[in-house]
Amino acid sequence: MQPVGERVIDDALPESILAEARRLEKAAERLRERPVDSVVRALGSVGERFLDQSDPLRVEALRRLPSDADVSPAMASVILDGMAGDWTRERLDRALRADFPDPGVLDRFCDVAGRRVHAVGPELTVQIVAGGVPGVGVNALLRALLVKSPTLLRPGRGDEVLAELFLRGLSEEAGWLVEAATAMRWRSEATGCTEAALRHARAITVYGSDATVSEIRSAAPVVARLIEYHHRISLVVIGREALESEVVRGVADEVARSVSLFEQRGCVCPHLVLVESGGAIDPEGFGAELASASARCAETWPALPSATSDVGALQQLRGVTEMQAAASGGRVWHGGASASWTVVYESEPREGPPTTARGVRVRPWSGLDALVRSIGPLGPHLQTVGLTGMGDRRAETALELARLGATRIVEPRDMGFPPPWWLHDGRRPLDELVRWAELE
Amino acid sequence: MSRQDKARVLDLVADPPGSAGYLRAAATALAGAMTGDPEALTADWDRWALAAFRHQFGGCPPLRAWWTARGVTPSTVERWQDVPPVPAEAFKYFDFRSPHDLEPEAVFVTSGTTKGSGRRGRHAVLSLDLYLASMNAPMRQALDPEGVRPDVVSLVPSATARPDSSLSVMVTEGARVLGREVYEWVDADGGWVDEEIARFDAATRDRPVLVLATALSLVHLLERPGLGRVLPPGSTVMETGGFKGVDTEVSREALYEGVAEAFAVDPDRIVNEYGMTELLSQLWEPVLTEGPTVRGCHRPAPWLRVRALDPVSLNELPEGASGLLAFYDLANFGSVSHVVTQDVGAVVDGRVRLEGRLLGSEPRGCSRALDELMSTRGAARG
Repeated sequence: MQPVGERVIDDALPESILAEARRLEKAAERLRERPVDSVVRALGSVGERFLDQSDPLRVEALRRLPSDADVSPAMASVILDGMAGDWTRERLDRALRADFPDPGVLDRFCDVAGRRVHAVGPELTVQIVAGGVPGVGVNALLRALLVKSPTLLRPGRGDEVLAELFLRGLSEEAGWLVEAATAMRWRSEATGCTEAALRHARAITVYGSDATVSEIRSAAPVVARLIEYHHRISLVVIGREALESEVVRGVADEVARSVSLFEQRGCVCPHLVLVESGGAIDPEGFGAELASASARCAETWPALPSATSDVGALQQLRGVTEMQAAASGGRVWHGGASASWTVVYESEPREGPPTTARGVRVRPWSGLDALVRSIGPLGPHLQTVGLTGMGDRRAETALELARLGATRIVEPRDMGFPPPWWLHDGRRPLDELVRWAELE
Repeated sequence: MSRQDKARVLDLVADPPGSAGYLRAAATALAGAMTGDPEALTADWDRWALAAFRHQFGGCPPLRAWWTARGVTPSTVERWQDVPPVPAEAFKYFDFRSPHDLEPEAVFVTSGTTKGSGRRGRHAVLSLDLYLASMNAPMRQALDPEGVRPDVVSLVPSATARPDSSLSVMVTEGARVLGREVYEWVDADGGWVDEEIARFDAATRDRPVLVLATALSLVHLLERPGLGRVLPPGSTVMETGGFKGVDTEVSREALYEGVAEAFAVDPDRIVNEYGMTELLSQLWEPVLTEGPTVRGCHRPAPWLRVRALDPVSLNELPEGASGLLAFYDLANFGSVSHVVTQDVGAVVDGRVRLEGRLLGSEPRGCSRALDELMSTRGAARG
């Protein structure tokens, strides 16, 4: 990360983190005096610059994202368009209204359903964000500022550039707002740094592995609200209506893009595709279609050769699944030396290495009860389900999936970029940041 | 019998490759050569390596199915390099015993990851004699080349406490073979055994001491005041296990500095061992015989060949180029000899320069892979 004034600090030390947290805390008072619509305008004006082809922020983002985030230029462009498309004034205003139908409650007491209430953003929101998915850090930053909470952000590895550039844009567009946001990096093992960051927090959001979330949970001050986004898994369920020969290629393309987006590092990226038996194309046939679609996707969205910090794991995945297929049945298709995608077809669920780097398992299902049983164990970690081809069974299936743990059920093509007002892991992300005050 | 003739023993075995009789004959011949004439294995390496492949093809159904699916059979393979290497991860999902129905004499289990037990790799050992024969001579050369027969302090749980740990078996057996008196300072759970420490202190020190330890146990030792001892000149410390599981921020250099100070040993007499459950042979830093300039380079046993492979194509890389490390280990005759790991390094003049694991230390993304719900990757040697 490159310094932008004092707003972006790399390799921070506990003392500087603590000092910054104290400074941000003091900014809360000034931020609260600002009307929320001015915050939306300021944030949106910066976000929209990332969509302007000629804007220096966008140009620099596209130049630096490939090396920062380990993605190809084509993938960087797709990610930036998808992320920044939700950073506009219109989209941010809609996100705000999804959680607060009258956003004025963030400025003053308002009448809401017969009660006079006021939503107060935390004096300081500290945000620890997982690495690998560019833009997640900016999304976190936007959420805190939208509820008028100063925020100290630790972007994940590979997500530094957009946070840095957004803060730079904010300093150019709205100096009064940038004083309420700082991005700092420190090594995750540096527990002294994390403790310093958390000491003054009134809200903490943490994105990461279950172990990371547990560590932050044990370190969080009791007065701080802890909002946890632990690792999630997403999957696709395909019904036989999507397996007709005239539509299956399009469905496979949508699934391949959902798998490949973010090089499969996002919680919204599927790792498992469940395909109904008895359709025009059988589940193994869909595996072959998905393999072809993955190859096509790799041509339009190539992975960087160096993207392959996961390449050792990829070799292990391919080798082990090929051995399993040879020993117990199934098929494995992959892009060989030229592409990282791997499709594993298993007629029965079996344990194997984690799918990685555009790797996905395809398994058959037959009957809704069996489908529910097979997904059941994933429930506590389930997030997005791409559901298609279910015809008039869609509502019933969605209900079962929701009861299992799914919090977002969409067509496979929409898995990658949830809108800013989505129920992130089943919760209203802005509402859960604030504390409500009631005037009786 | 000439060196080549030793490998010809296998041609005379009545039992076919893949059978218990063939394994017995091979293990006996190999163990004999490892102990008495290791260069014989070097001289006739190709013959031994292809014999191992034929045996494993014949005796292990999962390997036979996989190799056959790839069009690789004993009639198509002319060079050992053409045998597809098995991913180390496969030890978590397959039993590679060759022959498959022979009862193992030991089963070594990987230690899992630092954050959760995960699914563990299992290596069934059909001939402990072969394992021990492969272990002793390289260990002696690396740790006691002068043949002083030191007293040994072990900071690794004993083989009695952890029979499923290849490291525990190696350390216990190594201490027995190399050492005069053995002091086991830690119990099965890694806790300090005060009685053993007191017994060590009470004994007269008239010869050098060899400390056998993992990096983690050395970190713990340095964290507990009062455990350091002034060891006699010529004492040696073996460190193994890498830094996986060490949550503190200590570097290898800092650890070695601390160890050298705590034990008053020459830092150049700290020897690193590189091994894994999936391989029965080990690699050693030959610092005691070749000096500190070879620090970071590990010497494989003569019956272990190492290659660096292109991580994408798995083609062999030229000397000095970094890639995924693949091993062909004759000590694995009863399981699978050709193994490709996720470890990265280069091969220079037959030595391995380790560069660490390819996987990033910080998890990437907020996605949780399906199988991580049931298993976790990155097992270390148990």
